[in-house]
Amino acid sequence: MRPLFITWEYPPYKAGGIASHCEDLATTMASQGHEPVVITYGDKRETEYRDGVEIHRVPATDSASDTVTWAMHLGHQMEKKAIELSKKKDFDLVHAHDWMAVPGATGIKKTLGLPMVFTVHSTQKGRDGIDSEYQETIHNLEWYGTYEADEVITVGRDFSEEVKHTYDLPEEKVNYIPNGVNLEKFDDHSENLNRSEYALDYEQIVLFVGRMYPQKGPGHLIEAMPKILNQAPDAKFIMCGSGATEHYKGIAKKQVGDKVHFPGYVPDEELLSLMKRARMTVAPSVYEPFGIVPLEAAACETPTVGSYTGGMKDTIIHEYTGLHTYPADPGSIAQQVERALNDPGWSDWLGENARDRVEDNFRWEQISAWTTGIYQNALK
Amino acid sequence: MNIVILSKQFHDGESVSEYVKNIAESLTGSGHQVTIISFDDGSYYSIRHEVQVKRFPLHFDADNIYNWSMMMNNEMKGRVEEVIGDEEIDVIHANDWTTIPGGVALSKHREVPLALTLHSTENERGFGGEHSEIISELEWQGAYEADAVFVNREDTKNSVLFDLETPEEKLEVIDPLGDGWQERVLNKYTELVKHEKEVKN
Repeated sequence: MRPLFITWEYPPYKAGGIASHCEDLATTMASQGHEPVVITYGDKRETEYRDGVEIHRVPATDSASDTVTWAMHLGHQMEKKAIELSKKKDFDLVHAHDWMAVPGATGIKKTLGLPMVFTVHSTQKGRDGIDSEYQETIHNLEWYGTYEADEVITVGRDFSEEVKHTYDLPEEKVNYIPNGVNLEKFDDHSENLNRSEYALDYEQIVLFVGRMYPQKGPGHLIEAMPKILNQAPDAKFIMCGSGATEHYKGIAKKQVGDKVHFPGYVPDEELLSLMKRARMTVAPSVYEPFGIVPLEAAACETPTVGSYTGGMKDTIIHEYTGLHTYPADPGSIAQQVERALNDPGWSDWLGENARDRVEDNFRWEQISAWTTGIYQNALK
Repeated sequence: MNIVILSKQFHDGESVSEYVKNIAESLTGSGHQVTIISFDDGSYYSIRHEVQVKRFPLHFDADNIYNWSMMMNNEMKGRVEEVIGDEEIDVIHANDWTTIPGGVALSKHREVPLALTLHSTENERGFGGEHSEIISELEWQGAYEADAVFVNREDTKNSVLFDLETPEEKLEVIDPLGDGWQERVLNKYTELVKHEKEVKN
């Protein structure tokens, strides 16, 4: 099968989780004998063949006044590329990833007459709300994508319900397929961390990984820090990620001083090492359609303390692969983090279980097979 | 010849619609087939029955005309494919920036010449909007991709020449108030089709 992926980000261009998702899915599909072709954004027009995947990059404009306009323009460039490629090869369908791909993918669907599959990674309503005309336009694009798609994929079980409800979709059109983890990437990674840059020898690392925005809940973890340190003074909080870092750093430093460290954006290799050395990761998200951090931590045999919300209801099994907290509840976060910190043997056991569960349930080979099954439905 | 004309709107009394209607009626009068594809805003239109008019709805509201137009073009392409199907098109004629993405995509997909009428340019309109820069970029791209660019008056010609840097040989001033102007449009279509055949052979 030859699906045409439309995504605005594909590694090495990477702003969020969509880039990795697309790369892992496309690469796995290629290894299973399919021929995925990716059209994505790039600084310049170029073609690359990597891990069995054909990747075409098209530049976007500098004239756009906002991201929606930019995505509209990029969509038109992507469509022209798709038309050019269609002269030499047939595509079975177009697969769009998130709202920024909707203008391009629906154009390709209409012009080339292809079936369309649309993966919704999150919704405007859940991310920032719909309080302005601009936000409403993004919401409308998401709706339009789900309306035009033959099949819709969502990355969380709970999130499926949100998508059905938000866009008024028929039950049979919406499919739940979780995100996956490329275990080889974690197993092949050789740990190379100067731990002393992050924590003292005796300190236990409590790791946060994510964009520093309210949706990810860093503020709730910061509020919980003094309580945690009361019970577990050897804790050291490492807050990795870009965004409103200075804002959260200022608050956290006032609360706990040197017991928290904000390294900013941390490269993948370093981050994997940190995950492997952390006692736990904490994912205090308020809104999280899927949440890849618990799975990546699990691949490192590290348990996660995460909010009982969205995808984390599935990716964490309370007291078996990690611990759940009430969302947006610093007291609950403090309690669960203390439990894991104060019983290292139990924490290790949680981490081992988490790894076993990822091996059994969240492998890309499985996810790719489910996805191609949905492609078959779209082709009917 | 089989001509497809794209217009953002099509209703009586609106200047671009009247321009399109005049061309379509004149061409069908000479035995050609013309299909007008336009967004359906619900307004009334009248036209000779030989002209096929296909309007379409758009279930998408946007915060500005640029974003709306880009999605409208997607519907427009779908409507063309649906109406024309496997029939051969000889020329696609886009009108103004609002139909350039559709015109360019269809012309590339079907490998047929693209004629573009720029009824005015963003520079002429004052370049004062939040999206003027990207609209002007789209006009530039349309003029670049088109095989022929029609303008209605000398002022627009000058703007297309200097603001959009379009080569003069691609440009033709055809005043829709002048005598026999529809025939000049038809002659240009014929020239484009002839040239296309020569290139393909």
